[in-house]
Amino acid sequence: MKMFAPLLHSYWYLFRGAGMTLLMAGAAVVPATALGVVLALVHVFGRRPARSALQVYLFVVRGIPLLVLLTFVYYLLPLTGIDLPPFWGVVVVMSLYYAAFMSEVFRAGIESLPQAQWDAARSLGMTRHLMLRIVIFPQALRLAAPPFVSLCVSLVKATSLVSIVGLWELTMASREVVERTLAPFQIFLGAALIYFCICYTLAMYGRYLERRSLVGH
Amino acid sequence: MVRLMPALLQGAVITVELAILTFVICLFWGLLVALAQSSRGTLAWVAGGYVQAVRNTPLLIQLYIIYFGFSMVGFGLSGFMSGLLALCIQNGGYVAEIYRGGLQSVSARQYEAGRALGMRRWTLYTTVILPQVVARVIPPMTNQAISIIKDTSQVAAIAVMEMMKVAEVWVESSANTYDVFAGVAIIYLVLTSAAGLVGKAVEHRLAFAQ
Repeated sequence: MKMFAPLLHSYWYLFRGAGMTLLMAGAAVVPATALGVVLALVHVFGRRPARSALQVYLFVVRGIPLLVLLTFVYYLLPLTGIDLPPFWGVVVVMSLYYAAFMSEVFRAGIESLPQAQWDAARSLGMTRHLMLRIVIFPQALRLAAPPFVSLCVSLVKATSLVSIVGLWELTMASREVVERTLAPFQIFLGAALIYFCICYTLAMYGRYLERRSLVGH
Repeated sequence: MVRLMPALLQGAVITVELAILTFVICLFWGLLVALAQSSRGTLAWVAGGYVQAVRNTPLLIQLYIIYFGFSMVGFGLSGFMSGLLALCIQNGGYVAEIYRGGLQSVSARQYEAGRALGMRRWTLYTTVILPQVVARVIPPMTNQAISIIKDTSQVAAIAVMEMMKVAEVWVESSANTYDVFAGVAIIYLVLTSAAGLVGKAVEHRLAFAQ
């Protein structure tokens, strides 16, 4: 056990870093989800120019690494004179990035509903608003829940990238501890274990949702 | 930007090398893991644990464990080799899951029919099961190839001079930030689009297998 002494001395510091990781992921996931839903609706119901603009947005986001965008904003923010704390700069970039993937998940949820659901709702004389609210959304969201959760896992993992642009969270905290203790193997394994606990819990929840969504079929 | 392009393209060569090596190795490694997962006993358990472990921890941490951790224990790897190893370990988990989905989508009757014809396990897999799996996994594999290309940017964190690191060095040495990032973004978009197109073409070629 002596080998893991450095980890036992500094686990509290790593936990604080994990708190920051969760805070960052939480702050990004809310706007990403909201924007994702809006973009999915634009994709399904929008007019042609709006849809084309969305296609370009999706193409760009899916083709460029998140790290490039984070680094870009990191160098760009001081140049533009926008007085935004780095934390919020990172949260904005991550939200915009993940919103694109979220929108794909929600769109797939909406589009995988059979046409009969739309026809039935329309033949009952429902307005579009009512139809979406009580027929389409409840079913589409249930279908979209499992892939949504795996996106959340990916988002938690992606927060580790902000350590490269100098923000403090779990990965940065573990790097600091490594510089002090010179025990990279133990400390990074400890950090990996913390990430695993967070992500595995999320993934299990996703599997539970998946099983539950299959019950109705 | 024209002035920057040669340097960026030099970085892009490393990016492409890393991505292609990772993808090819993962195609084999992921299949082994997926077959191990579908077997019974300890091996399945180990393979399942591996997949969960790599899918639920960040690539960056795996990169640090391999690059800094291994050199501490006595067998240090170069940046490129550490990056390649970490990329393969991480993406192998995802590729294995893709194969597993493909294996599960082949109906049990195909196995039964093969066995009824007296095929050995090896013949059954190589002539009946795997060709169907390969045709089905191409779209998700294409997505995985694209995400591998994007993942290679993280290797910049251990100072491998791939495109992302080249860009950082240029920005630090006071080249125009906008130009550098526009150049990098364009090259990444070209690479990922190319991967997407190749995937589409292969999918088209193998459409008969469905």
